[in-house]
Amino acid sequence: MSEPLLVLQGLSVAYGGIAALEEVTLTVAQGEAVALLGANGAGKSTLVKAVMGLVAPSAGRMRFAGVDLRHLSTLARARLGLGYCPEGRRVFPGLSVRENLEVAARVDKTTRRRRLDAVLAVFPALAARADARAWQLSGGQQQMLALGRALMGQPRLLLLDEPSLGLSPILADELLEKVREIAKAGTAVLLAEQNAAKALAVAGRAYLLEVGRVVREGASAVLAESAEVRKAFLGG
Amino acid sequence: MELLQLVIDGVSLGAAYALVALGFVLVLNATGAVNFAAGDLVMAGGFAAVALAQALPLPGLALLPLVLLLMAALGLVFSGLAYFPLMRRPPTAVFISTIALGVILQNAANAIFGAAPRKAPALLGEHLYHLGGLSIGRQSLAIVAVAAALVLAQHLLFARTQLGRSLRATAQDRETAEALGIPTLRMIALTFMLAAALAGAAGLLLANRYFVEPTRGNELIVSAYMAVVIGGWGSLPGAVLAALLIALFQVIVSAYASYTTATALLYAVLLAVLLLRPKGLFGEAIGRRV
Amino acid sequence: MRGWISTGIRLPLAALAVALAAYPLILGNAYSFRLATLAGIYALLAIGYQLIFGYAGALSLAQGCFFGIGAYVSAILASRLGWSFLLSFPLSLAAPVALAAVVALPVLRLESHYLALATLGVAQVALLAAVNWQGLTGGANGIAGIPPIAVFGARVPDGWPLMLVVWLFAAAGAFLAWHLMRGLYGRMFHLMRENDIAATALGIDRARLRLAAFLFSALYAGAAGALYAHSVGVISPGVLEFPVMVTCLAMAVIGGSARVSGAILGAVLLVHLPEWFRVLDNSYLIAYGAALLVVIIVAPWGVIGAVERLRARLLPELPPEPPAPRMTTLRAHAGSGGAPLLEVEGLAIAFGGLRALDGITFSVRPGELLGLIGPNGSGKTTLVNVVSGLYRPSAGRIRFAGQDITDTAAYRRARLGLARSFQSTSLVPEMTALDSVALGRAALEGTGLASALASGWRCAHLARARGHAMALLDALGIAAFAERRCGELPHGIKRRVEIARALALEPRLLILDEPAAGLGTGEAADLRGRLQRLAQGGLTLLIIEHNMPFLMPLAERMICLDDGRLIAEGKPAEIRGHPRVIEAYLGRTAWAGVRE
Repeated sequence: MSEPLLVLQGLSVAYGGIAALEEVTLTVAQGEAVALLGANGAGKSTLVKAVMGLVAPSAGRMRFAGVDLRHLSTLARARLGLGYCPEGRRVFPGLSVRENLEVAARVDKTTRRRRLDAVLAVFPALAARADARAWQLSGGQQQMLALGRALMGQPRLLLLDEPSLGLSPILADELLEKVREIAKAGTAVLLAEQNAAKALAVAGRAYLLEVGRVVREGASAVLAESAEVRKAFLGG
Repeated sequence: MELLQLVIDGVSLGAAYALVALGFVLVLNATGAVNFAAGDLVMAGGFAAVALAQALPLPGLALLPLVLLLMAALGLVFSGLAYFPLMRRPPTAVFISTIALGVILQNAANAIFGAAPRKAPALLGEHLYHLGGLSIGRQSLAIVAVAAALVLAQHLLFARTQLGRSLRATAQDRETAEALGIPTLRMIALTFMLAAALAGAAGLLLANRYFVEPTRGNELIVSAYMAVVIGGWGSLPGAVLAALLIALFQVIVSAYASYTTATALLYAVLLAVLLLRPKGLFGEAIGRRV
Repeated sequence: MRGWISTGIRLPLAALAVALAAYPLILGNAYSFRLATLAGIYALLAIGYQLIFGYAGALSLAQGCFFGIGAYVSAILASRLGWSFLLSFPLSLAAPVALAAVVALPVLRLESHYLALATLGVAQVALLAAVNWQGLTGGANGIAGIPPIAVFGARVPDGWPLMLVVWLFAAAGAFLAWHLMRGLYGRMFHLMRENDIAATALGIDRARLRLAAFLFSALYAGAAGALYAHSVGVISPGVLEFPVMVTCLAMAVIGGSARVSGAILGAVLLVHLPEWFRVLDNSYLIAYGAALLVVIIVAPWGVIGAVERLRARLLPELPPEPPAPRMTTLRAHAGSGGAPLLEVEGLAIAFGGLRALDGITFSVRPGELLGLIGPNGSGKTTLVNVVSGLYRPSAGRIRFAGQDITDTAAYRRARLGLARSFQSTSLVPEMTALDSVALGRAALEGTGLASALASGWRCAHLARARGHAMALLDALGIAAFAERRCGELPHGIKRRVEIARALALEPRLLILDEPAAGLGTGEAADLRGRLQRLAQGGLTLLIIEHNMPFLMPLAERMICLDDGRLIAEGKPAEIRGHPRVIEAYLGRTAWAGVRE
């Protein structure tokens, strides 16, 4: 068997002396959907940002598609096939929906056009508001846009940082349903989610983080039955 | 009739101010940095036109592309000295570095060209059209036309092209833009080049009727800054509109009272706007950096 | 005295001062005296500028204008009206201070570049007035024939006597500025400059500090301008032009900001720079610009800062003996047990149309330990910011200790006994833990301009505040770190220093925003024990936390926010089993199976 798409080994990150991640080892295989669970401050965001090169690890190795990520800039990682959907959506507020999508496709005009149509087909709600400025969208639509924008680069691995944050339960369901579709279509997904129930429904495998460490990993079906997950969130 | 004459003069001055304000806002949005040397870049553009005209006796319009190119190059150097080394430092550091570069530009101009006012060639020769009781200079019309063309070009570049979208995305959220594969450092350098080119064009436009001297930038930066504050911090159309209003105000009040009164009143207006409507008369631009 | 001179970089500074004084005397020609005189004048100007730019951290561009006004007032009074120096000099100081007082109201409320350009606008108007008000100012030609400094008919001759007089003024100015800033008052400026929100939360009135610094900067500039007019004998509108301001800024930055010695060194260096680079001819300002640029990029702390760093590396000093602890008591709780200490009613706030808080109502009883929980982005920190006065609510009332504080300024709330900590560290890295905590006493000690001016050699306020601080550090088990700089402390210690600082305010209510974030299990347990003891001592606590194992055993009562609304309230055990809390944290569907 060849090496998984993403391999993290002993990854540690510290902010000004505080350990945010400690010796995390994690893999995501080609086309696999993996959930990253944990309470606030467990280190989910930090892990995603470290993979994207937005925070520097203090120790450990990161490989993506067989390439050592250590000395690659964020830009280079994006071009290698990492798609990023940041926490808090962070759509470009002054750009229209269409422009938000277009700007993320660094390809020729025809290909860009084709990808735009494909993404708008996945998100009909966005197609209906293609010319609206992103700041005019509702929270749910913005999250769809951030997701669609990440897809415009046709990533091999999609990094999702708390996509359901601040969404109503119905919207969160709708969004995670899209994520499930994307994963099914063959794009690998690493989903950092606070909403454990929903994330486990989307992902095949999951890791549970607690204060920067992986305390549990396994198939979603198994973790969903675990009282440990519940304890991690509500302090038993 | 006299008022109409003044309005025409004011619009032509305002068109040039608009270019300065535009360059200022572009850099502000892309980097969050206040470029204190924006006025000195205008001055540099004016002297570039003066120097080019000595070598090539051509009308100003023919010199414009050369001035734009030279100034874009200067903008690149500018960003390399005043912005990139200080990217991760508090905004005040960049503010001071642009003050320093402004001082260098001013005194370099003084050393090369001397302190006396100099005149650049008119865009299309000097000629007065008489219309009823009005006399309209060809230069005034040409200034408005060239400025409008440049503002339009900037608008089209930003609104219609992938490069423009990338520039705007970089300005709105640099980190996310980078993570989406947009080369944001290059975009920022390009923004500085564009801003310097626009400032240079303004220099060429102003240096005929209003002359150019090394210390010219000091008043211009205050005018441009006022346009940006009044137009709404970060708003491009607001800045252009406010630049026009400011120039009109200056020209008209100077004619009926004095230049000193006009300037003092303008500063009073600026302070009032800052106090009462800190987001500017036309509201805050969308897409402020978070 | 020997100990005093050998601390910090005072020894090299003293050596430098002697060298500087000797230099013109050795050269002994009229030109070197003139340069040294000019350096003294600029030193005075730059020391004043350090107060507003270096200490208060406000980039005012009006310093050159104040200088020019001082010069013009002296010139007009002395040359035109024939006033004596003893009368004209005080007025030359008063005029720029008066102008500063007038423009301070609109201008000082502005931040960063807004302030810079607004002050530049003031300067431009002054310049225009000088050029155009010909009857008074002589227009572009300026005013000539300004008599030299004379006291009771005795004229100060050019050359070394004038130099001496000017440097006496500079030395007096330097001493005043140093004296003003060396105690607790100066440390208030330091905290305000680095973190104005933390300063406000300690009851420090930022507007007042900035105003004092601005007025003093104008005072110094006026004095420098007056000395300039009398020394040179002729002035023109050039004294109001931008190069004066740029020169002053360059001196402050290159010498080292927030250091009186930096201003003096910067002035001496920059006045002599054109001499050392004669090739530049009249374009010496290019050299100023280049030097300014290089220093800002390479050594933002300036020459003095670089020397200090060098000294710290080559000759590390032993930390001073920490002061003896002084007992601190918690503020008495009038009528505890009765009426709630904090009452929040119908609180709402929106950012750009997004409702961050909506209809929040709760209260905290005296002596209670209330926990506030909620998922990421649910509005916890926003709520604390509204309660502590950083944000104005769009609806609702807040009552504290029986008083409506909805419209009370944040620093006043702190003085009423409402203290808070911050999620991310808000300590000044260069300040010692002891002084950081001592700053919490600033409001209670009534430290201000008057007390700073009147303080004796030993800085009584600072000494007393440090005594209290020592007791608090001791109570939190971190006395050993008292003289360490906050920047080098481990995270867990920093958190405790922040709690100690908030306690120094002798608060009635202490709000802690995620005190356990980033702490290891042992550290968290230790902190919990200490908080428990504080609560037993009668302190009322409101703790935001998402580390449930930390908070659950600690809190007597908890409230939970979700999406800006209060969704649950009750005892920890009730909260843990509350269906809406579980839903907010874990999502709706899959949890039916694992409920207890």
